[in-house]
Amino acid sequence: MTGAVTVEHVTFRYPGGGAGIFDLSLEIAPGELVVCIGPSGCGKTTLLKLIAGFLQPERGIVRLAGEDVTGASVRSRELGIVFQAYALFPHMTVGENVAYPLRVRGIAPTERRRQAGETLELVGLAGFADRLPAELSGGQQQRVALARALAFKPRALLLDEPLSALDAATRVGMRDEVRRIQRSQNIATLLITHDQDEALSLADRIAILREGLLVQAAPASEIYDRPADGFVAGFVGRANLLPGEIAGAERVDTPLGALATPPHGKPAGERVLVLIRPERLEVAPAAGAPNTFAVEVTHDRFFGATRQLDLACRGARLRIETLSRGDVRYVRVPPEAVQFLAPT
Amino acid sequence: MLPRWVTVAYLAYLVAPILLLLVGSFGGLWLNTLLPTGFTGRWYLEVAADPSFRRAFNASLFVAAATGAACLAIGLPLAYAVFRAQSPAVRAAARALYLLPIALPALVLAFGFILVFSSDTLPWLGSIWLLVAGHAVLCVPYFLQAVVTDMQRLGLATLEDAADSLGSRPLQRFFHIVLPALRHSILSGLIVVAALSIGEFQFSNLVAGFLNRTYPVVLLQAFYGATGFACAATVILLALALSASALGAWSAGGAATLAFHRR
Repeated sequence: MTGAVTVEHVTFRYPGGGAGIFDLSLEIAPGELVVCIGPSGCGKTTLLKLIAGFLQPERGIVRLAGEDVTGASVRSRELGIVFQAYALFPHMTVGENVAYPLRVRGIAPTERRRQAGETLELVGLAGFADRLPAELSGGQQQRVALARALAFKPRALLLDEPLSALDAATRVGMRDEVRRIQRSQNIATLLITHDQDEALSLADRIAILREGLLVQAAPASEIYDRPADGFVAGFVGRANLLPGEIAGAERVDTPLGALATPPHGKPAGERVLVLIRPERLEVAPAAGAPNTFAVEVTHDRFFGATRQLDLACRGARLRIETLSRGDVRYVRVPPEAVQFLAPT
Repeated sequence: MLPRWVTVAYLAYLVAPILLLLVGSFGGLWLNTLLPTGFTGRWYLEVAADPSFRRAFNASLFVAAATGAACLAIGLPLAYAVFRAQSPAVRAAARALYLLPIALPALVLAFGFILVFSSDTLPWLGSIWLLVAGHAVLCVPYFLQAVVTDMQRLGLATLEDAADSLGSRPLQRFFHIVLPALRHSILSGLIVVAALSIGEFQFSNLVAGFLNRTYPVVLLQAFYGATGFACAATVILLALALSASALGAWSAGGAATLAFHRR
């Protein structure tokens, strides 16, 4: 099956700097929602601009439904784009904004008003057609931007940090809205964000970018459970990362001491990065049991349902997420919680 | 308490000369007294009957209107070009260049015009179009400043990118997005231009030909005659400047609305 949006070995460099994206390949299947995430300057917005046609790649091909559109104008690509600050036309009403793509396509006023009304209904803004954008809240403006981008039945949807300008409470609600609307239109979507919660909760697949390179693209659970490297592990979710050296078939030496692990099949002496997710550490009642270490609490954060503690243990720092309310003096590392990553 | 008194004092200082002008323009005789004696409307009638004032009045209106049109025709594309320039260095240089006339005394421009246009190859000194050209040079910076600032405030580049992605062609973007979104700053820019052009004296005094002297140039001579006449003539200039601004605002508003509703 051909991807709705395909990027093949695309390279783009900003003039006079190392920034850009390098030999990046990514495919978005029809109806799929891919969230592209990474620290600022990683190239995620550049990727969106390359797909949109605002930038032209130095090398590589951009395809829409298999058709090579590299070098084609923005207009001809027919992609629905939602900009970070919404970019609603301030002098047009909500209805005129949403009808604008239909207006430039020469659709008659009554027909485009009807279609714009339908699209507004889809985003939950029926009855707002005659308002001006400035009269709406941030969340409502966001919906208008989404409606306008969808009004002309685009080939795919590109969302550039669409929720970053909203306050925290609105953002979480809008996340579900974006997902619902994207599902109902069954439209291939690329969403750019730097918010890992947004990525985890929205995406069919998450693409992680770092310094212009695609580090990993996989479903959220796979990114979390089998991160490609220490960067991904630390960027999505919380992570304890410790340098280690394989000491036996089921042992690894770490700053904490020797850790028992499941059988791993790695040769003794190999250097690895040990990943232990904070929620998989256990509070232990006493020392003595295998993989149990005495710790000192350096920071204790109470979140209601859970507690997050920073621990010091033989010069290493550990973070634990626990349901326990009591004192934490010892922690146990369950062998099955130990994962190995390539050292960076 | 103090800020209020400062404000009141400043306003009084601002309004007093205008009030005195008004009083003087309706006063009968005003020699060595604090206020004039008697009430009369004859000064206005005299100004209205004076052919040189009538001609100057019309010349000023024409020059202001033509300067406004020139600012639109030159300033709008220029503002757009400066705003869309890729390189920050180019933007900074363009900005410095177009703001230059503000720093330069109008006198310098006038001398330049006299030098160039009194020659045999370009013998245009005294033409009303030369006056318009000079006013345009003096006024375009103010117009550009208003419009470019608004373009940045609106994030016009992103609005255009959005329109582009929605299928809008360059010309459609200009008429559907750029022009209507900028209508407020175009309007206020034209108001400033009209007021500046109507009140301009330095340049016009040197460059205007005898038959198309603008109102302020002719006004200067009024002060050699009766005080009441001079006051009435000045009040007319004030009214002219204010109404030119209003007219500029109204016409620009009309043009923008027209462009906005074009389908």
